[in-house]
Amino acid sequence: MSAIIVDKIAKSFGATQAVRDVSFEVRPGEIFGLLGPNGSGKTTSIRVILDIYQPDSGSVTILGGPMTNEKLNQIGYIPEERGLYQDVPLDRCLTYLATLKGLTEEQITERLPKYLAKFDLTDHAKKKAKELSKGMQQKGQLIAALIHDPEIVIIDEPFSALDPVNTQLVKDLLIEQRNAGKTIVMCTHQMNQVEQLCDRLVLIDHGRVLLQGELSEVRDQFRTNEVIIDSLDPLPEELNGVSRIEQLNGGYRLTPQAGLSAHQLLNELLAQGIKLNSFEVAVPTLDEIFIQVVKEGNGKHE
Amino acid sequence: MNKTMNVARYEYLHHVGNKRFWLSLVSVPLGFGLILVISLLLSRFSFDTRPVGIVDNGSLIQLEPDNSKESTFFNPQIYLNVYPDESTARSAASTGEIQGFAVVPEDYASRYQLTYWTNKQPDSSVHSVITDFISANLMAAENIDYAVLHRIREGSSISLQSLDGSQTSDGTGWHRIVVPAVIGILNFIVVMTSGGYLLKALVEEKENRTIEIMLTSVPSREIMAGKIVGNLGVGLTQIVVWVLLLGIAGFLFRSKLGFLADIHLSGSYLVISLALMVLSFLFTAALMATIGAAMTSTEESQGVIGLMVLPMMIPFYFFNVFLSNPNGILARVLSFIPLSAPLALSLRMAISSVSPLEIGLVFVAIITFTLLMFWLAGVVFKRGMLQYSRRLRFKEIFKKETRNA
Repeated sequence: MSAIIVDKIAKSFGATQAVRDVSFEVRPGEIFGLLGPNGSGKTTSIRVILDIYQPDSGSVTILGGPMTNEKLNQIGYIPEERGLYQDVPLDRCLTYLATLKGLTEEQITERLPKYLAKFDLTDHAKKKAKELSKGMQQKGQLIAALIHDPEIVIIDEPFSALDPVNTQLVKDLLIEQRNAGKTIVMCTHQMNQVEQLCDRLVLIDHGRVLLQGELSEVRDQFRTNEVIIDSLDPLPEELNGVSRIEQLNGGYRLTPQAGLSAHQLLNELLAQGIKLNSFEVAVPTLDEIFIQVVKEGNGKHE
Repeated sequence: MNKTMNVARYEYLHHVGNKRFWLSLVSVPLGFGLILVISLLLSRFSFDTRPVGIVDNGSLIQLEPDNSKESTFFNPQIYLNVYPDESTARSAASTGEIQGFAVVPEDYASRYQLTYWTNKQPDSSVHSVITDFISANLMAAENIDYAVLHRIREGSSISLQSLDGSQTSDGTGWHRIVVPAVIGILNFIVVMTSGGYLLKALVEEKENRTIEIMLTSVPSREIMAGKIVGNLGVGLTQIVVWVLLLGIAGFLFRSKLGFLADIHLSGSYLVISLALMVLSFLFTAALMATIGAAMTSTEESQGVIGLMVLPMMIPFYFFNVFLSNPNGILARVLSFIPLSAPLALSLRMAISSVSPLEIGLVFVAIITFTLLMFWLAGVVFKRGMLQYSRRLRFKEIFKKETRNA
């Protein structure tokens, strides 16, 4: 059973079509990346999934059926911006939000101190949210999203405002949640985090799905036969078997001639006496794929 | 339902547990009390308690002045001293022994005019003391009991009775105006403060995006219901505390509050007035929720609150119209409007006869308005709470409703 099935949803606000014909599936126990530039329709899609918005057409199946009030307790959510009462002590705010997720006072008393300790917030529990740094607030929000042990966690920009140490803490936490069988939907612009964490992803822009699949599949889809080498000596201007040489910072990107595989190119280079420190097949980064796909998508819309 | 109560409990404790709430709660009656005490003290200290002299040149005075009443701080008396001639009285006045003196002229019996000699404007009490004493002597000259004069001055008490005998009203007495006015003022303060809390909470939740987390935890109708119940509790707490403070003050000053015995309020009057206040609050709370959900910032919402004050204050503006024609069109129309009904209907019931049918119709109308406002608040709440950058448009309110709404 899929954790979430989004089937051809469309949503408009007045004359603005925020989402059109968006479909994707989130499997249980995976970290799923919901990617897209600003204004692409990510947040609207999330709100439709969470049943805050009713789609104009299409449907959402969550944990095997439509959203119910009971299923709300199985979902943890962190919106993109803030989300804590600014004038209320952190522990009281988290206690309240936890009761809204159906936790009893006993459960909260047992769990909250552990989470506060885990996120190094114990000493700040009595402070008002507005007195906390953005990073601390973000960690507080993570506690609010996780304390009720949800089946599905939806996080919009989980790493915003976090320093490297806390970024690693959150990454470890997300991996821990996935290993515990939880489903995580992650919206972010930070492609390096997606590459490290996500099992599958969907990329949407202008309310349409531009790309989706497993991370390795997506990469393969955009893989070229280019190679990146690091040579001991500068390369000559022309090489046999190479149609294009691009100098990089500390290396070269080589485009083989048509019909030449990476393995054959390596043999060609060695045969020409090129001394190599490294030789690797150029796999496009998710950043590059993101930019390429979005640009191509924009070209189609223009 | 459990989550609704969680929301209500949080809203209630959030406000009632706040020092600012108690400060403002206590400061209102304390402020009123302080103003009352200061004005009483100012009035008392400016009150001249020195005796007043009287010189009888018209052979009118047969009775001794009644100076037997004890003069106290809270109930000062002005005594009368009779002087044999003007020069003695003038001498007493010039030394400050008396504050002034009245001279009954020889021709008083034909002109009924006397002169009061003083260097300062006399209090109204001085006038009463002199005229009462002269009247008593005039009555004595005619062998009429002075008590009769009192009876004539008091006049008659008229009570109203509807033709079918079902409605009665004490047609006289200051309380028939004061009690509804107090109800109106209480209603205004409670509705505006607790309604204001509700509006502020909603706009803040919208500003800090907490509402987005709440909407993924609790259906919007339950959130709104919880907030309204919680803030209604805040309003009722205000009333209870004020009533308790009034009770304590009443107990402490019970010997000075004998005039309160004039108040005869029926149980049904109180129940109807309280029910109207609760309904008015519920209506206003739903209205505040609607405004809070549709607006994008605290500043924007404050401006709209100002508009709500107007209908609540209309009965005060037209108080004279109510008194002269309590069953006129204006008074009746205002009785059917939730914001003005608590004052309008309770005032009409106090000074005239309102049929049970009309009271019933008022309740049906206000309950209907309140339910409609709740429905509207639910829809606007659902659709407007996530519009952070722009106000909800009117036509967007009536689009197809969602499950979670």
